[in-house]
Amino acid sequence: MRKLFIVLGIIASILAIVLSVLPVSNLAYFPAIAALVFGFIAFYLSNKNKLSIKTIQLVFLLSVIALSITIYKSAFLTTEVGNTDELEIRQQESVEDAKQELENLDLDFDDLDVDINEEDLELGDLDEIEME
Amino acid sequence: MLIASLYIKLTYMLKYFFLLSLFVSTFGFSQNSAFKAGEKLTFTASYNMSGVLTELAQVNMETSEIKTSKATLLRLKTTATTYSKWDNFFKIRDLYESYVSPTTVRPYLYKRDIYEGGYTKFVQYKYSHSKGTVASLIRKKKKGGGTYDQNNTLKISSNTKDIVSTIYYLRTLDLNSFSPGKTITMTVLFDNKPTEIVVKYVNKETVNTKIGSKACHKLAISIKNSNILKGTNDNLLWLTADENKIPVYAKFKVAVGNGELKIKSATGLKN
Repeated sequence: MRKLFIVLGIIASILAIVLSVLPVSNLAYFPAIAALVFGFIAFYLSNKNKLSIKTIQLVFLLSVIALSITIYKSAFLTTEVGNTDELEIRQQESVEDAKQELENLDLDFDDLDVDINEEDLELGDLDEIEME
Repeated sequence: MLIASLYIKLTYMLKYFFLLSLFVSTFGFSQNSAFKAGEKLTFTASYNMSGVLTELAQVNMETSEIKTSKATLLRLKTTATTYSKWDNFFKIRDLYESYVSPTTVRPYLYKRDIYEGGYTKFVQYKYSHSKGTVASLIRKKKKGGGTYDQNNTLKISSNTKDIVSTIYYLRTLDLNSFSPGKTITMTVLFDNKPTEIVVKYVNKETVNTKIGSKACHKLAISIKNSNILKGTNDNLLWLTADENKIPVYAKFKVAVGNGELKIKSATGLKN
């Protein structure tokens, strides 16, 4: 029983460490807390049977490290958007390209004829369409 | 193993995250009193597992005016950008655009230019509503370098739209007249396939958002013949119950946990 909890504790704490260094660091809370719980159970069982607690200390150490990294990351690192220069360029090119495409397109603005109103006429050059 | 599967799920989720706000029309003409050129909405896309949020990407939705020699159109632009911490793992720089009629939100040109973790794809639809067709162009990367084009002509119904115009079209509907349980089916053209999307009006609810506490229309979304969205009433969208009908919150059920889209800021509103 004690061995089982030690093994579970080690697995959970290693998982917590791995998750904590990934961008999904927030998810490390789950295995870290699980590792602590397993660790405490194993610690209790070891004490009862007067057995070594060295590996359990490792479990605690790893989970505490994982929790520290996670808490540090969520408290001090702000999430911000990365470099979007390339996307901005693509957007600009896309508009220019779209303008060309739209000029060539047959814009059948039938729908606009149905519910045309003053506001829309002010918006753009819809007079021509209404003439059509 | 667990990490690998979690990673796969997350990357899969990231990929589909953006597509998860779909919905469109079978309705006839409606007046657009919900948005105008110059509107900018910013969202945070995150993954929620038992209340622990992991922020994935920022989604921007912007409108602007585009003038051609014949008419003035509204450009609906949506971009998805992963946060910098994700860029080394799975970088997303997606651009979706739809050029629509400012009043009826009928699309005339749709462009999708995506970059998702090294994968790129360009899709363009040119609508011809008088003929009931769409000229589709798909551009993909060749393995050895360079690109290749696939041209197709697709038949569409008069109410077929693309994803972007669908989201905006939904905002032009008179949701106040909807009673709980009312459903509408819409057709969205995605990856050259017309996809039927069912939107169900659930009820009115007040939601706390970054732009204040808002009374909202709650809508449930499902896709016919698809398992991208899990559950029946678990994929929800909240639109403010005012004239602007801003999408303030969306929730999607994925394999493990939920995907969420929360509004961060809204500027240039019409009303």
